[in-house]
Amino acid sequence: MIPDAIAASVLQSGLIPRGTRVQVFSEIYWVFLGLGTLVGAVVIGYMLKNAYKYSDRGGADEKERPKLGEMPTGGGKGKKLFLSLSLSAIIVISLIAWTYGTLLFVEGQTGDQGVDVEVEGYQFGWNFHYLNDDGEYSGVNTTGTLRVPVDTQVNLQITSDDVFHNFGIPALSVKGDAIPGETTETWFKATEAKNYTAHCYELCGQGHSYMEAGVIVMEEEAYNDWYAEQRASAENDSAGNIAAAGV
Amino acid sequence: MTDETQPRTDGGTATALPGDSHDDGSHLPPRWSIKRWLITTNHKDVGILYIVTAMFFLVFGGMLALLIRAQMWAPRAPGEGILSAMAYNQAVSLHGLIMVFWFLSPIATGFGNYIVPLQIGAEDLAFPRLNALSYWLYLASGLMVFASFFQGSTFAGGWTLYAPLNIPAFMPSIGATTTVFAIVTFCASVTVGGVNFITTIHRMRAPGLTMRSLPLFTWSWLLTVWMMLLAFAALLAACMILLSDRLLGTTYFAMTTDGGSVLWTHLFWFFGHPEVYIVFFPALGAMAEIFQTFSGNRIVGRKWFIVSMVLVALQSFIVWMHHMFLTSINLEVKTLFMATTIGISLPFDLMVFALIYTLIKGRIRWDTPMLYAFGALVLFIVGGITGVFLGAVVLDYEFRGTYWVVAHFHYVMVSGATALIGALFYWFPKITGKTYNEFLGKVSFAVFFTGFNLLYFPMFLAWGTPRRVFAYRPEYLVWHRIASVGAVILGISFLLIIYNLTKSLISGDDAAANPWPYSTTAEWAVSSPPPLENFPGTPSYASGALEFLGSDDDGSGAAAATDGGHATEHEEVHVDHASVWPFVTGVFSFVTVIGLSGLQVGSYPAGLEGLFYQATSVVGVVGLISAISAMGYENFTAHEGGFGETWPFGGVENTKMGMWVFLASDVVLFGAFIGASIFLRVAYGWTNWHPVPHNPIPGLVNTYLLLSSSFSVILALVAAKKHSRKGIVASLVITFVLGLGFLVNKGIEWLELFHEGVWLDSGVRASTYFLTTGLHMGHVIAGLLITAYLIWRAWNGAYSEGSGETLEYFGLYWHFVDIVWLFLFPLFYIV
Repeated sequence: MIPDAIAASVLQSGLIPRGTRVQVFSEIYWVFLGLGTLVGAVVIGYMLKNAYKYSDRGGADEKERPKLGEMPTGGGKGKKLFLSLSLSAIIVISLIAWTYGTLLFVEGQTGDQGVDVEVEGYQFGWNFHYLNDDGEYSGVNTTGTLRVPVDTQVNLQITSDDVFHNFGIPALSVKGDAIPGETTETWFKATEAKNYTAHCYELCGQGHSYMEAGVIVMEEEAYNDWYAEQRASAENDSAGNIAAAGV
Repeated sequence: MTDETQPRTDGGTATALPGDSHDDGSHLPPRWSIKRWLITTNHKDVGILYIVTAMFFLVFGGMLALLIRAQMWAPRAPGEGILSAMAYNQAVSLHGLIMVFWFLSPIATGFGNYIVPLQIGAEDLAFPRLNALSYWLYLASGLMVFASFFQGSTFAGGWTLYAPLNIPAFMPSIGATTTVFAIVTFCASVTVGGVNFITTIHRMRAPGLTMRSLPLFTWSWLLTVWMMLLAFAALLAACMILLSDRLLGTTYFAMTTDGGSVLWTHLFWFFGHPEVYIVFFPALGAMAEIFQTFSGNRIVGRKWFIVSMVLVALQSFIVWMHHMFLTSINLEVKTLFMATTIGISLPFDLMVFALIYTLIKGRIRWDTPMLYAFGALVLFIVGGITGVFLGAVVLDYEFRGTYWVVAHFHYVMVSGATALIGALFYWFPKITGKTYNEFLGKVSFAVFFTGFNLLYFPMFLAWGTPRRVFAYRPEYLVWHRIASVGAVILGISFLLIIYNLTKSLISGDDAAANPWPYSTTAEWAVSSPPPLENFPGTPSYASGALEFLGSDDDGSGAAAATDGGHATEHEEVHVDHASVWPFVTGVFSFVTVIGLSGLQVGSYPAGLEGLFYQATSVVGVVGLISAISAMGYENFTAHEGGFGETWPFGGVENTKMGMWVFLASDVVLFGAFIGASIFLRVAYGWTNWHPVPHNPIPGLVNTYLLLSSSFSVILALVAAKKHSRKGIVASLVITFVLGLGFLVNKGIEWLELFHEGVWLDSGVRASTYFLTTGLHMGHVIAGLLITAYLIWRAWNGAYSEGSGETLEYFGLYWHFVDIVWLFLFPLFYIV
């Protein structure tokens, strides 16, 4: 496939921001902000300059002005217009094309490696179901706190138990819609072992403003210990349940 | 050359004929009488009603905004602040809905009403009563919004009304239903208005005024109403389905319906993105007019400006999924919509540059309208640049649902409002005949511009705040405080504007016909305010410039004698300007909606409350049908126009064209319903889905019944050509009987299903079947009511003696209904 080949070579060129979501986001954001500010300043500055320069100060007027009742016309400066348009088109298209490479990188990251967690929104909180390597429920569930290992890709499968929510961890630049009956996939990688907060980003009812979850990024070892412990108690629970049910 | 071809703008000529003496002839009371405003169908009166009402809703929406900003003064713990959590959600939702639907679009509609007929040289709109009806439906829908606050709670799920939060399971209040009804009523208003404006602008232009030479405001408005006609049909479909879920218990958007939530986002944003341009285009058109007048230059690249607007209007229908980048749509679709999104930004670049270059070598006068228009362009540029950020999908992933989006679209939408306020000052002298206070106008702009930027710019800096929350991270406190202060300042500027205009209306100096040097468009060539029939003679651009031809000289137009006083009095056709029925229809729409809002999932509340809602429903429906019938029966003569016909509208009468345009919106409505069924079926699993009726034979019979009834309508037309009264009546009776047979057949089928326990709420297969074929059945019933009316009229000889045009218009509608069935039958009975 030629497009794939092009995509791959562009991805390897080093031109395209890669890395964690935080890294790619901030790299692209600052380029956009810098260029956007520059373009805005130039255009608005040019506007203001002409506004000042051609303000009516009386005096002789050699130009032929529009008359009441004339057929609407207008024209001229077509070249200048298309030159400006082309310039702005080049800036916008190349910027977006540049970020498209990153989009391909970001979208290509889901899947094989790392920890898989199903995130389930409900009014008004979050459940986390940990999946095993086969993508099945591992029996480890938490409510209100997501624990993940540092420096590991975490793959999220986001869904909802009731209304439309949106799960996002702003400090880790990750976000996904939580839609009942559907799953959206995304991923993130935390590079520091510290605590973050996840929010709901879609109005979901009375408790929306406080619909949060804690995100605890743990050292790999601590995480493995915690996970093993959870696994064990989950197995005990299910064994206990089976025993209690008299099966 | 100059003096003779120039229109006579010395006010005196034009004011000589208008007003009072003429009012008697048209049964229109004077302006100080309240009665006039209830019965008027004149486009200028309706325009004023729209503008004034929209300003009220601006204040209403603004109060809600101030409540939001008060709550945001500090990050609040639960229960803190002046609003409860639910009150805050209501304020957020209704602020958005009111500003978009009940302020921005209607104030533009006000200018469209007042200015566009003047600019194109039409005496009025094609369907003056429908125009009044648009307004009264708009006002009724706005009053429904007011009422919804007192019915438990109004809608509290954001202006995007996302599913499934919008269904009774999660939002059971009656007020939420009323809000959705209000949107449906507003859609009806917009559709009626769209049909009217499209017909008027395509058919009623002055001779010589080609589409290419239409003033830019008229161009922007024409494209706005085209977008409105098609986009609002999608919103109408979405809200009708939502109402069906809320009132009747269908399960389109239920939590358990696969694809239901995503279906809503598709339907909503298919409307929602064109809506952005619907709101912004009139502002853009006004900016173009103001830039030209106040810089004394004709716009640079006029042709390309128009081409850009047309491109945007077309492209606006293929960008909607960029609102859904974080849903489960796949990478290919994201790429496609990313590309179309960049595509739609480029024509805007061209338009912005065209406006800027128009300043060059101008003699720019900084009157209040120009200050607002210029300010609007600055703000729009900031809004546009920050929008490019959102076009980059990787950035959008992070900005979605944050204050970046809030800040961006306020910079865009409120810059539109800024330009429209400029338009308000620009056309104020024309509309009122008074001069506003220039100094106060400039002060108001300074306060406005300061308040605007203090309010919205900090939102970019605090962009990490999630939308629609009142708990935020403490580090954003200072930005939110500044924004709240800015909100108060912006609010003060609106008070200044309203004070200035009200004071000037009462005690301002009289305005000249043309207060602005270098203005070119026709509204400035008549007195301020213009006379009832607008022009002192027949306006024409045939000679290359505007002139008013006296009707005495048969339009040969040798001299532009603006002897208008005689022109209008000698008019042979009496033209009406008053009808009470649009108002009455509006009143009963309101009553109907209040009554029906009590219905929830098939039942009314218990006790006295339920009795109230039931009685109100009955009164409303009976009144509504009576009012519409009375309007249909009323004799009303409107201007026909027909000078500026161009392909493909040449030789098509107004009503016929109106019918075609209406059917175009109906195509989108049915398209959305059918699309929704197919979408849900794909989500359900195409092959697991079996048709709801067990037997396709009754459906097949119905297909034959409808096809034959189409044929009998054609027979009626043939009979009309032969002036055979019996032939017309017989063919129409056959049509009626065949249609009735269709309904009876359908009724039997539904009854059987009902007895088997299959009904609207028996899952998504049944829901789509009943609702989609039900919508079609509604069209059939409406068609039969019209047929009954036609039979009665034909019996009295209406179409055998006169022309059979009415039959032809009905035929168009009836054929359309049949064609729709040809799509529904295979979809719901066979595959």
